[in-house]
Amino acid sequence: MSSTPPPPGPPQKPAAKALNCPQCGAAITLRALGQAASVVCESCHCILDAKTPQLEILQTFSKAIAADRPLIPLGTRGKLRGADYEVIGFQRRGTVIDGIRYFWHEYVLFNPYKGFRYLTEYQGHWNDVTVCKEQPIVETRVSIPLVANYLGEVYRHFQTSDATTDFVLGEFPWQVAVGEQARANDYVHPPRLLSMERTAGETTWSLGEYTSGRDIWSAFRLPGSPPAPQGVFANQPSPSGGGARQLWAFFALLALLLLGVIIVTDFSESKTPVFSASYHLNAGEPKGEASFVTEPFELTGRTSSVEVSTNANVSNSWIYLNYALINTDTEQAWDFGREVSYYYGYDSDGSWHEGSQSDSVVVPSVPAGHYYLRIEPEVAPNHGFLAYTVDVRRDVPVPVFYGIGFVALLLPPLLYGWRSWTFERARWSESDHPPMQLQKSEEDD
Amino acid sequence: MLRKLYLLYGLLIVGGSAFAQYRGWSLNSMNQVHNVPRSVRDNPGSYRSVYNSYHHYTGGK
Amino acid sequence: MQTVCEYCKSILVRTDLDLKKVGVVADLPPDVSPIQLQTEGVYKSKSFVVIGRILYEYDQGGWNEWHLLMNDGSSAWLSDAQNEFAVTSSFNASNLPSASALTVGQQFQWNGSTYALSVITKAHYRGVQGELPFEYWDKDDVLFADFRTPTRHFATLDYSDPQPTLFLGEFVEFDDLKLKNLRQFEGW
Repeated sequence: MSSTPPPPGPPQKPAAKALNCPQCGAAITLRALGQAASVVCESCHCILDAKTPQLEILQTFSKAIAADRPLIPLGTRGKLRGADYEVIGFQRRGTVIDGIRYFWHEYVLFNPYKGFRYLTEYQGHWNDVTVCKEQPIVETRVSIPLVANYLGEVYRHFQTSDATTDFVLGEFPWQVAVGEQARANDYVHPPRLLSMERTAGETTWSLGEYTSGRDIWSAFRLPGSPPAPQGVFANQPSPSGGGARQLWAFFALLALLLLGVIIVTDFSESKTPVFSASYHLNAGEPKGEASFVTEPFELTGRTSSVEVSTNANVSNSWIYLNYALINTDTEQAWDFGREVSYYYGYDSDGSWHEGSQSDSVVVPSVPAGHYYLRIEPEVAPNHGFLAYTVDVRRDVPVPVFYGIGFVALLLPPLLYGWRSWTFERARWSESDHPPMQLQKSEEDD
Repeated sequence: MLRKLYLLYGLLIVGGSAFAQYRGWSLNSMNQVHNVPRSVRDNPGSYRSVYNSYHHYTGGK
Repeated sequence: MQTVCEYCKSILVRTDLDLKKVGVVADLPPDVSPIQLQTEGVYKSKSFVVIGRILYEYDQGGWNEWHLLMNDGSSAWLSDAQNEFAVTSSFNASNLPSASALTVGQQFQWNGSTYALSVITKAHYRGVQGELPFEYWDKDDVLFADFRTPTRHFATLDYSDPQPTLFLGEFVEFDDLKLKNLRQFEGW
């Protein structure tokens, strides 16, 4: 049997009727759809009954869509990826995880030349989704999905769930209906998300790219501001980006540089001994003038550090020295006091000791010139003879600044690493593979 | 952006450390006294130290 | 649902929508293919012209198969499903499965690539246009099996005849086909 099939008819034109005032025929402008029980004609002021067929249709429609109003109204056009798209469909889907029901929304975008695109929205997180032409390759272990390889990138399995449609508006490229169910496997490689949806007859892969609400709002020129995103979404890009890793690389570089500086300065600092003398003190001696001055010595070179070291044979005792480093020419002095004390003993825990028999201090930024020390020593009253030496060195390193510098270098990568770490923990806590709990938490179910 | 800021910060720190070494800084607290007369060399007791009235703590733990 | 007339600003209300379906079932968009008969384009540096069309329909929607005449005289098909395009041509192979032996995920080797079965569709003709390489049509459902790969390669098994016909090809981007003489859309 052969017969020619009918040609496809011209595209059906939607049937529409104008809403005109039955009294004067003027066009009616509706503003508060769904809320008006009656509408007044702006021309002749007659009141339209809500039972007017066209008005009734509009009101019913408004009530039906009010159940879940799309954030981007159907019919809105926006520019994405360089092309204009029109929102033609909207659906709400839900899933149950750990006994809690979660909802998200999907928008269908259409351009007659570019085809279809989708936008998904969940708690303020948006994704720009297209259907994949290439098939990702899934690696499983004991039939548990691990990763999906797609276009050279590795996506980690995030979640498997059953998605049910429970609200539909507008047009879709396939006949979506409430109750439709699909099994979804999501894989992430932030900022992208691969989703595999399986229904009875079909498997579809789609790729989503995380988009900020602000970009959506400006693309579609929507009024107001987008809903604020809550929590961390599956493929939300980390705020520090790959930043933490880059910082560590820079840290290594800077630490090496610091090491170089340490080596170079250590080499170039002369650490010249400029003065050394031994003294003694006897508390038993009659008290005269305890203070004395040393022989003068010269400090050469640029303005730099001066180290004054004291060594004393104190044994369960102390010696206190009041130092003044005095410049004979400029009449300038640096005044400082140092204590050398050393205690030791033996108790129930074993032997102990406290303090040290030597002390050193660095006098900062001392210009070159002729100097001497004025020393005023003091010992414990009951101590007998005590010998001590005083050594002065010029241009010594001060390691504490390197220590501070190193810690300061360490702080930013540490902070960013910590931020990145807590962000990723928050991300994966929503998935099928939550990170281990650090502290005890209540068991659910 | 982040990298550049950190690099700048790091270079400042390394540079700062080198500069501190060069200028001979230290963290010790010093008191600078001016106009110390020459006569101190002959009479050390006449020097008025800021620590004159200071007696360090020698008590036990 | 409603739109405003540009000239008199009156509101036009659609009376043909089934309001009971609103919120519950989606509509199918009207025929939206940008391609029409006599559209011209280029595929793999061979120019072609669209000379025929088959409109298929299945329970979830529909798609177009455009019959292409390449400049070397050969035939090819441009599949147009929700504006996803693929160009295929028939290929002779001997290891074709029978309709009853198909399972999603099955793999086959054709022309040096591995194809995995992704969709099985039962569809029937909804309409034809222009020149087609066959004489008659059937109102019954026909089985189609679609195969995908990790690259853009694509294959279809057409079970209209007792012996299935294999079509091999690849997904193409709309822009790559450099199409001319496209259908004009109001407002686009």
